[in-house]
Amino acid sequence: MLSPAQRPPEPQPEQVSGARLVVEALERAGAEYIFGYPGGAIMPVYDALTGSSLKHILVRHEQAAALAADAYARVTGKAGVCLATSGPGATNLITGIANAFMDSVPMVAITGQVPTTLMGTDAFQEIDTFGLMMPIVKHSFLVRDPANIPHVFAQAFRIATSGRPGPVLIDLPKNVTNGFAPRCEPPSPQPQPPAFDGAAIAAADALIAAASKPLLYVGGGVAMAGAEEALRRFVARTAIPSVATLKGLGSIPTDDPTFIGMLGMHGSRAANIAVEECDLLICIGARFDDRATGKLASFAPNAKVIHLDADPSEIGKLRRAEVGFAGDIVAALDAFEATPDVGGWLAHCQGRKRLWAPRYDAPGQGIYAPALLKTLADKAGDGAIFTCDVGLHQMWVAQHCRFSRPQAHLTSGGLGTMGYGVPAGIGALLAEPDATVITVSGDGSFMMNVQELATLRRYRLPLKIVLIDNSQLGMVRQWQELFFEENFSEIDLSDNPDFSEVAHAFGIEAFTIDHRSQVAGAIDRLLGTSGPILMHVRIDPRENVWPLVPPNSPNVEMLEKRW
Amino acid sequence: MTARLDVDFTPAEGAMLRILGLIERRGYRIRELILAERPAHTSSLSILIEAHDAGRQPDTVARQLGNLFDVSSVTLSPSQQSACP
Repeated sequence: MLSPAQRPPEPQPEQVSGARLVVEALERAGAEYIFGYPGGAIMPVYDALTGSSLKHILVRHEQAAALAADAYARVTGKAGVCLATSGPGATNLITGIANAFMDSVPMVAITGQVPTTLMGTDAFQEIDTFGLMMPIVKHSFLVRDPANIPHVFAQAFRIATSGRPGPVLIDLPKNVTNGFAPRCEPPSPQPQPPAFDGAAIAAADALIAAASKPLLYVGGGVAMAGAEEALRRFVARTAIPSVATLKGLGSIPTDDPTFIGMLGMHGSRAANIAVEECDLLICIGARFDDRATGKLASFAPNAKVIHLDADPSEIGKLRRAEVGFAGDIVAALDAFEATPDVGGWLAHCQGRKRLWAPRYDAPGQGIYAPALLKTLADKAGDGAIFTCDVGLHQMWVAQHCRFSRPQAHLTSGGLGTMGYGVPAGIGALLAEPDATVITVSGDGSFMMNVQELATLRRYRLPLKIVLIDNSQLGMVRQWQELFFEENFSEIDLSDNPDFSEVAHAFGIEAFTIDHRSQVAGAIDRLLGTSGPILMHVRIDPRENVWPLVPPNSPNVEMLEKRW
Repeated sequence: MTARLDVDFTPAEGAMLRILGLIERRGYRIRELILAERPAHTSSLSILIEAHDAGRQPDTVARQLGNLFDVSSVTLSPSQQSACP
């Protein structure tokens, strides 16, 4: 018999369980989908989910829960929510949370924890989740009293979505979710008026008016700030040409005449040369990441810099800005009035873009992945959403597909997470059920979260998977070829399973192609199928991605091979 | 190069770890640390930091500290103290 101190608390009148408070707080925050996986310490919350308005998506690995929540957030602009138990459940979330942190994606991650009385005792499935997550979250909470749950959840959603977005962790000990507290509704936070610096606007306008070769450097922060329309208004007003980072693609439609291309390590020659030549770089929601800048000292060597970002600590972090704005990107873009004469400069950039446009007439009869992806994107149309894994195929998608909005290109930019593609496809399909969602993966990446085919099957999510298989870890192989004297170390995946058979085993339609003549019909079949489908594409293992800027080299030193 | 950070913060769960961890993760050594209690449940840290390499700007880490939700203010001042070998 339990002593009085050991007995679970009895609910008092007007009190509800901590788990119930969690569910109500999520409903109040506007959460619709939760991606998760149950286990011991989080079971009270799962018990309280029954009958709520929340739709729980049972993934097959916690990492996929965080990655799907990440993609859902990128498409909807709302915080994605993921849920796991203590110990291994929490540690399995880490990669997905780090992914959201690196790409500034709003997310609320909820983990179960052993009871507070057992914390610090190495109890079963105990881990210091709060400590483990600290470097990869925007903020974190360890809830010790069920009465704090409504306030903590309200704060967590506010922190995740405000300013520079990011993931927030809420660690919930089991005695807290099993405990009881009165219902309360936390006050709505007062909206912060956007910071707006009139003197900086005037200084920026003066720089723009004086520039003869201004260039926009567009990053993922534009979409995170909801500033796409403001950016397009600014471009329509000024005709200033632009380049984009991997995450900035689609903020200006990639077929817009003022868009020159992606910059950086695998960027286009026209874009990198434009950065080299510009005399004013207007950086919007980008952070001078090394994959974008190459050797920083040689980046935009002749340019003054205007830097707009939601995060004040990014201004001047890696490159001094003549004018910096921290705060409301939309307000700043709309406040600029200068309209410089850039006709000649724009025509020059466009001429370079035409001169160095990609070619798709590769010799031979094997499938040339860039040509396949170009055809796929053209046939899928502007409404399609592409999710990628990480590797050669990721760069081919960025280079050769078209994007009319940033939400159409979901990629793991900062962390480079292999295994992102399929879970991201799940998140995207739940965010936009009517969209055509295509995951482009590689044979290395696909195996990192292959178990999520079961999730696709369970929820009948019509994800279209294009698996580009070179039986290698292709990007590692390319680097070993170029920078390690062709010492091909541990990149052989020629013993891959038959991916079509794998998909069939999960109950998903699949087929394989390996000849150029099959491409058009295969794409029609892929796009015309109503359910989930996998198109397995065998390509030449020696195929590389070009251009490539060697590490720590200026972006103008692009390696390229042409036929 | 050393610099002094004066940080006012709310001593919430993990606040000290967040502040000190961020400084160390962003490439600085902590050379000296003084913690003071303040009225109304706030605390203050005076931290002498030294960059691991000369390229780091202390004002950047000061602004990154300012982004932390427990932190209410950060003041950066150059330090006259020379680094120990």
